[in-house]
Amino acid sequence: MSSTSEETKKFQKELNAGTTALVLLGVLARASQPMYGYQIARLLEANAGDTPIMKQGALYPVLRSLESSGLLESEVEPSVSGPPRRYYRITEAGRKNLETWRGIWERTKALVDSAVRGGEQ
Amino acid sequence: MIGSIDDYLSQLKKALHGCDRATIQDALSDAEEHLRTALASATAHHATVSEADALSQIIDSYGMPEEVATAYREIEHRLTPALAQPSYPEEPEEVHREKDERPLLVRFFGVFADLRVWGAFLYLLFSLLTGTLYFTWAVTGISLSAGLLVLIVGLPFTGLFILSVWGIGLVEGRIVEALLGVRMPRRAQYRRGGTGLWPRFRSIILDGHTWLSLVYMILQLPLGIAYFTVLVTLIAVALFAIATPILQLGFDISVVTTEAGAYYFAGWMLPLLVVAGILLATLTMHLARYLGRMHGALAKALLVRR
Repeated sequence: MSSTSEETKKFQKELNAGTTALVLLGVLARASQPMYGYQIARLLEANAGDTPIMKQGALYPVLRSLESSGLLESEVEPSVSGPPRRYYRITEAGRKNLETWRGIWERTKALVDSAVRGGEQ
Repeated sequence: MIGSIDDYLSQLKKALHGCDRATIQDALSDAEEHLRTALASATAHHATVSEADALSQIIDSYGMPEEVATAYREIEHRLTPALAQPSYPEEPEEVHREKDERPLLVRFFGVFADLRVWGAFLYLLFSLLTGTLYFTWAVTGISLSAGLLVLIVGLPFTGLFILSVWGIGLVEGRIVEALLGVRMPRRAQYRRGGTGLWPRFRSIILDGHTWLSLVYMILQLPLGIAYFTVLVTLIAVALFAIATPILQLGFDISVVTTEAGAYYFAGWMLPLLVVAGILLATLTMHLARYLGRMHGALAKALLVRR
């Protein structure tokens, strides 16, 4: 049994590797103001339901890489209660990319759906 | 098993062993920001939960140090070559392999087409200016701090001065990354020196990072003078050699004019001079690349917190 769950975990992880960037861009595109990592993680947690899909720690390196490729920008602001926080905001290039990526996602989703549920319909 | 945030951070640091030092610093500050924020909000909302319980829950959803380290490793591995092609010489093998296939002559003169070398050249020339500023700031700050320490204003003054040193270290890091292409950290590390003013102050003073940054700031002046002098001299000589035929044949300007008469280069020497000038200019660019690499390594060793 453990090998099955190992495979499942691996599958989930590989899936996340591709979708995290899209999810983060989507969240930040809809946010009305800049958000910091913990806020984003909480928001995703609330949307994910009972079983958490990804480790929150995996969000941060993706945020950084999105920033270094110019899709996000960020600034550090001090906070009252703890260490300074890095607030992320989406850039124009980020919005454009999100449009394209959304199209790719729709097509991928349609393909996967039709393959997985093909027999039932 | 992980009793405190500091424990977590030291395990994360261990798990990241072998990564780029700047990545480690980024990962540690991300983790620290998340864990402290989460812990603060958890203890604020549920006052009954013990800190250890709350922390283990938070770590459970943030990921164990090994998992988080893997995430950073994978991102760096996957995205760096595609996204940041020119700026990170972190994969020297690939660069060299690519270069080795080019003929020697192309490799030698190709240095002029390498943007990074022009960046290094610019950096080395400007290091005279930045070196003067850093040196003045560091020496003034150290002597004023030392002198004022007998008075009560000495402590806050020293504290502010050290904060400014950290700030300058970060800014210099950005310049080094932009012009020399050496990956440097993007943000300061949040530090907890203790609760009281005095323990915090002590931890700042005893922090090796502060002193290394100061050493860097002071070293920048002699290095800047050396870089500037050597590069300007070499380039001036090279340009002189290249321009001589034009000056001599076109405008009848001599090399040296004394009372005894004007000295000119012999006609057969002129082409040789031009060739020598071009060679010298190219060699100077190679020197700039080499010095830039050396300086980048120095900045990384002294300005990045271990």
